[in-house]
Amino acid sequence: MASAANANLNAVRETMDVLLEISRLLNTGLDMESLSICVRLCEQGINPEALSAVIKELRKASESLKASENCTN
Amino acid sequence: SSSITELLSALCDCSLSGVSWKRRALGGVSRESFHRALKKRAYGALLSNLFQDGTKGPAPGLSATANTPPRNKVLMICFDLRVAGCREEAERLEEQLGRLPEGGYSGLKEVDAVLDLLVNLAGSAPPPPTSF
Repeated sequence: MASAANANLNAVRETMDVLLEISRLLNTGLDMESLSICVRLCEQGINPEALSAVIKELRKASESLKASENCTN
Repeated sequence: SSSITELLSALCDCSLSGVSWKRRALGGVSRESFHRALKKRAYGALLSNLFQDGTKGPAPGLSATANTPPRNKVLMICFDLRVAGCREEAERLEEQLGRLPEGGYSGLKEVDAVLDLLVNLAGSAPPPPTSF
């Protein structure tokens, strides 16, 4: 039972490593933390296209915040 | 496992990394208020995309590849990379795609959905700085 759980954990780790490398090659801008959140959201049934729109929206908002920070500097 | 609301909140946290809040607090913008605003935008983007899924066929502007399996979409990107002269990147991408286990063997339920997300986000980040 424990070895089956370990095997599954190893499979998840390997898959995450491959997904992160694909993400890097595609220049998606996702780090391991945000990728793992996205994986869990997809597992919860969130539509990938809708999720990509969310990520782009969040990026726009945080970039404008960072840009305003640079202006005040 | 976390709920969708907790995960979206964590995603908002990720996008706020690297922002200095000490100085912002003086200007009246707190981390909490900006986090709330981010969550509102995140839900707005999520819901507006969900409700586009009508029964009247594909929405205008939807690409012809909407029904293409995500693995094939990655292969199409590999082809584009080759055409653009980026043979090495194309080969590395194909190699990684080949390493990606199918369905249950991956330990994840929705590998193809994640792959679809990555394809949707492809090229959305600024290019990495070139080293001299």
